Parts: sequence; C-alpha cells; structure tokens
Amino acid sequence: MILELKTIDKSFGEKEVLKGISFSAESGKAFGLLGRNGAGKTTTIRILMNVFPANSGEVLVDGRPINYEKTGFGYLPEERGLYPKKVIINQLVYFAELKGMRHKAAVNAVDYWLDRLGMSEYRNKRLDTLSKGNQQKIQLITALAHDPHIVILDEPFSGLDPVNAMLLKDVVKEQISKGKIVLFSSHQMNYIEEFCDSIAIINAGKVALRGDLHEIKRNYVRDRLVVNTIKPAPIQADFGAACTINDDGSLMIKLNDPAEKQAVMKRLVDNYDIDELKVFEPSLNDIFVEYAGEQV
Amino acid sequence: MRQFGKILKFELSGYLKNKIFVGITAFLVIAIAVCMFIPNITSLFKSDDTTDENAELPVMLIYAENDELSSLIKEYFDEAFTDYSIIIKDGTIEDLKKQITNGNAECAFAMNSASSYTYYVNNLSMYDTNTAIADTVLQDVYRVTAMVGTGMTPEQASEIMSIQIGSETITLGKDQMQNFFYTYIMIFALYMVILLYGQMVATNVATEKSSRAMEVLITSAKPTSMMFGKVLASCIAGLVQLVAIFGTALVFYHVNRSAWGDNMIIESIFNIPVELFVYMLVFFVLGFLIYAFLYGAIGSTASKLEDINTSVMPITFLFIIAFFVVIFSMTRGDVDNALIKVCSYIPFTSPMAMFTRISMSTVAWYEIVVSIAILVGSTIGVGFIAAKIYRVGVLLYGTTPKIGSIIKAVVRNQ
Repeated sequence: MILELKTIDKSFGEKEVLKGISFSAESGKAFGLLGRNGAGKTTTIRILMNVFPANSGEVLVDGRPINYEKTGFGYLPEERGLYPKKVIINQLVYFAELKGMRHKAAVNAVDYWLDRLGMSEYRNKRLDTLSKGNQQKIQLITALAHDPHIVILDEPFSGLDPVNAMLLKDVVKEQISKGKIVLFSSHQMNYIEEFCDSIAIINAGKVALRGDLHEIKRNYVRDRLVVNTIKPAPIQADFGAACTINDDGSLMIKLNDPAEKQAVMKRLVDNYDIDELKVFEPSLNDIFVEYAGEQV
Repeated sequence: MRQFGKILKFELSGYLKNKIFVGITAFLVIAIAVCMFIPNITSLFKSDDTTDENAELPVMLIYAENDELSSLIKEYFDEAFTDYSIIIKDGTIEDLKKQITNGNAECAFAMNSASSYTYYVNNLSMYDTNTAIADTVLQDVYRVTAMVGTGMTPEQASEIMSIQIGSETITLGKDQMQNFFYTYIMIFALYMVILLYGQMVATNVATEKSSRAMEVLITSAKPTSMMFGKVLASCIAGLVQLVAIFGTALVFYHVNRSAWGDNMIIESIFNIPVELFVYMLVFFVLGFLIYAFLYGAIGSTASKLEDINTSVMPITFLFIIAFFVVIFSMTRGDVDNALIKVCSYIPFTSPMAMFTRISMSTVAWYEIVVSIAILVGSTIGVGFIAAKIYRVGVLLYGTTPKIGSIIKAVVRNQ
C-alpha cells in the first residue's frame, strides 16, 4: 500500500498554513514527518485523517482517492488525553468500537495490548490514577487496538522512561514488520534516524526536503573532512580559515571543491600525525537544522 | 449509524453511572414519595389540634356611639369573622387603643358613622384582609338599615341581601383552571431540565476538549454522530429522571388516594388526558433537543470549563425570555394573545408556547401540525449546524473564538 499526499493546500481564514505539501509513504516502512513547531505537521496529519478537508490537493492510496471507510487509521496525538475519570478498559473498548470493532473483538484486542504493554493490572482502574508515562501507554492502545493500516505517532517517545521507550521501539518495529505504514512525527531525531526509511521536512507550510534518508545523507555535499589528531596546531596553521574545531575536539576542514577531496586527504596523511580521517556525514539533526532552520 | 449507537450507549452509561446523577434522582424520588404521604401525615397531627379549638380566639373590638348599631354590627361580624371573638366596647377611644397596645385585643373597629369607621390594629400584617371584609359587611349593614327605614321588615331586608344566584358552567373549549396545573408543571419541568441538562451537555463537550480526549474522538467518529449521540443520551437521561420522579409520584398517589380525597389540583394533574400527555412528550423532547444542540455547540467553542458559564449566557437568556412570555400569558389567563401566538411558531419558543396554547385554549389541528413541523425541521437543522460548529470548535484552543469567526469557519467548511 502506498499512501500519497499530493499538493495539499490549506488556509485558515487569511492564514495559509500548508502550501502544496506532497510526500508518499509505503507499507512496511516508517516515514518521518519533521518540522519545527507550527510548521504545519498537525494540520497535515488532520487533513490526512479527514478531520477537515484541504482547500486543494488530494490524498491517495495506491493511486486512488482514499476511502476512509476502508482505510483504518490509528493516531497517537501529540496532545495526549483521554477520559480521566473513566475506567480504562471501558474507554479503550469504546474507542476501539468507534473505529468499527465489534464489542467482543474490541475487548479481546484491548486485553491483548494491555498485556503486551504490561498494563493489565490497571485494566479496571480509572485513568487519572495512573502516572503520566503509563497514561501515555494507555493512549497508545487507542492507536493500535483496532489494527489500523496506517499508524500515526506524534512524539511517541516523549515522557517515556528508557525501559518503556525500548518497549515502544519493539512495538513500532513489530508494526512495521506487519506491513503497516508508520508515520512518525518527532523532534527526537535519533528515533527518526533509527526507524524511518524516508522523511519529509516541513518548513513554513512547504516540504523543504523529502526522500530516502540514506540517499539524502549520501547526496549531501561531501565537501568536509573530519580529522582526529593529537597535534592540531600545525594543521590549523596550514588550512587557516577553512579549518575549524568541532565540539569533540576534532578538526573540520572545509574543501573549496568536493573534487579535491582525494588530494587533500593524501596531503593530510603524508604531512601530519593523523589518528582518524573521514568525509563528514551529516546527522539528521544537522540536516534538520539546515533545512528547517533557514528561511524563518 | 453503528457509531452513533456506540456513542449514545457510552454517553448514556456515563449519565446513569454518575454518582451525582443517581444521587439526585434518588433524593428527588424519595422527596416526592414523602410529599405524596403529606395528607396522611397531616391528618395524624390534626386529631390532636381539635381539643383547643375554642380555646382562645383573638379579640376584635367594636365601638359605636349608637348601641343599636353596635349590636347589629356584632351580629353581622360574628358571622363574617369566625376566627375572632367579637366584643362590643364601651368607654373612650383612648381605652380602646390601650386595650390593643397592651395586647388584650388584636384590633378594633370604631364606627364614626354608619358608613365610616377607623380601624385600629397594633401591627398591620401584610395579609390583613379585615378591612376588606368589614367594608362588605358594613355595606350590607348599611343597606339593611336603609331598607328597614323604608318600612321593610328586617327579615325581608336580610333575605334580599342574602340572595344566592344559581349558576352552571359548561366548557366547550378548554378549562383553563383545570389544565393550568399540568401546563405549569410541564413548563417548569422543561425549564429546569433544559437549564440543567443543557449545562451538562456543554460541560461534557468542554471537558472532552480540555482533557484532549477530543483529539482521539474527532479522528475516530463523525462530528454528527458525536453531537447527536451526546444530545440524545442527555435527553434520554433527562426523561429517565422525570419518569422516575413522576412515576413515583403516581404510584404513591394511588397508594394514598383516599387521604388525598378530592384535592382538585392533584386530581387534575394525575388525570391528564392522554392526548395532552402525548403533546407534552413531543414538545418536551423537541424543546429539549433543540436547546441541547445549542448548548453542545457552545460547549465545543469553550477552551476552558470556566468559560462555559459566560458562553452559554445568550442561549440561557433566549430560553428565559421564552419562559417568561409563556408564564406571563398563562398567569394572566390570556393564552391567545398575539405574542404567544407568534412564539408558538418560533422553534425556540414554540415547545412551551404551543403546548400552553393547546392545553389552555383551542388550537386548530393544522396550527399544531405547522408548529411541530417547523420545530422538527429546525431541531434537525440546528443539530447539523451544531455538529459543524462542534467540528470547528473542538480544534480551537486558546481564547474563546468570536461568534463571527466561528460562523465564517463553518461556512468555509474548514
């Protein structure tokens, strides 16, 4: 299954929130939707889930307009919250039923997930008796119990302790291996890097960058070298302004032209005491800051 | 449709499992049951009272220059003021006043002439009707004396004065007196239930919004299903409560029937004609729904629970106006005035106004049909508009949006 958003425009009153958002995600893979606060991620997700219509553009599944009766969505919103005063099992079953499950199937599914997330002991308790992290696990069940085709997780890891984060990682990996489309929205780049095959960075209502994460990294201009040495001074003197010191003490040498990479590397190895030498590969964080940070 | 059913069930169980809801209903049921025992309870105490019946009646003094006049007045006053012991007082006006101020007598009539008197009383009660009664009685006395003066015997004069007119009333339309009470009860029940439940619906929606359960709900269910499910659930909960209360009243009325005897008010309430009961139900449900939709829509625009009270004010105001138009017309006994007629076709006022007209006046069938048709149509319309406002409103956080911007957003279908 391929989910595709095509040139989605949306404005609230005079304010243009989305300007031609396009990206696609396919089943069995995780997709990362990145963007700074207020970039338009939540609006994109809401349009995707048909909470409100787009001004123009379309949402396609396998090339055809999406049928919301057939395509199931599971959503963990960034703004967490369920019914604080209601018993957990009752509200989870209610949400599963709203998504179209029969009562019995809903109860079974909810019980399975309570057990899977180690929350069975809270089954008949009120939600507000739980800690914040545990409430978040309960909310995750509303996104997964009805076995949706598309799982949208907005900042799923925020507020979880390392053990619960591990548990959630397993669950996410399992969802991906089950052939679902998992849509991530997060500011925690390490998780995105860990799971997502492709990403889209939204900036001020536009897609600033999208594509396969490895490819993006590979295509990143390879015009910088990272040098690890115990004697940095002579190198700094040699390269002048092109050489800067990184936070970890290593040196960063900016090349005038990526083509001279080989020559510069040879020169370094021949003339100086080098421990380690490599071409700089940006982290997702660097890419994000570069694409989402500018133009604002 | 299934989704709507689920929401209805969930919301309804929310009401029926709510301890406060159950507690209040139980309290009211017990209270009304106790009320139905009142005649039995009072009769228990009554038997003890009879012993000191003639014990001490308050004293009313009569003072007149003319002995003949004072004894004639006493004769008539004895009949008119049965809860006073009437005493003719000689002496001066000053003595008379003293008697009252020191508490020996409660009040006094000092006759200045046959047609004028001074009434002395220590503290004049708000409900003192003695002078009014005395006026009528003294008029009679004056007339009888005048007639005797023309040569009539006192018996003949008394006979003329005490002539009884025989009469019989046949009601061809509605008996306002008889229907007044259940109209009153229905109007009041509607008033109470709408204000209480309307607030509950608004709070319910706003709570979901402030707890952010809305984020999941709005992506799981259609706004129309949500709105109609919530409002109908509150309507059913309201009816359950009313049925419990009035059902209890009916049961205990029958238990105590003999004790109630022929109390006209109670009798008329419990012998409401079936046809009128059906109208009552129809107008009650429709009136409830149309307001509950409005309250629900308003609730969805409030970002904080505290904002609700101010947000719902316009609706509450509209509703109270409707209530007063009806109550005002009812108590004046004029339920066919132009205002109430117009109100009986306007959706937000018609549930009360049309029901009042049907029950207390004669209304042509087509008028009822038109009124109900307008009401049904607008209730459904308001329901769908409310659902649209709901969808726009629930996603707006921060300051409560202006009505204008909500309407714009709804029209733009955002």
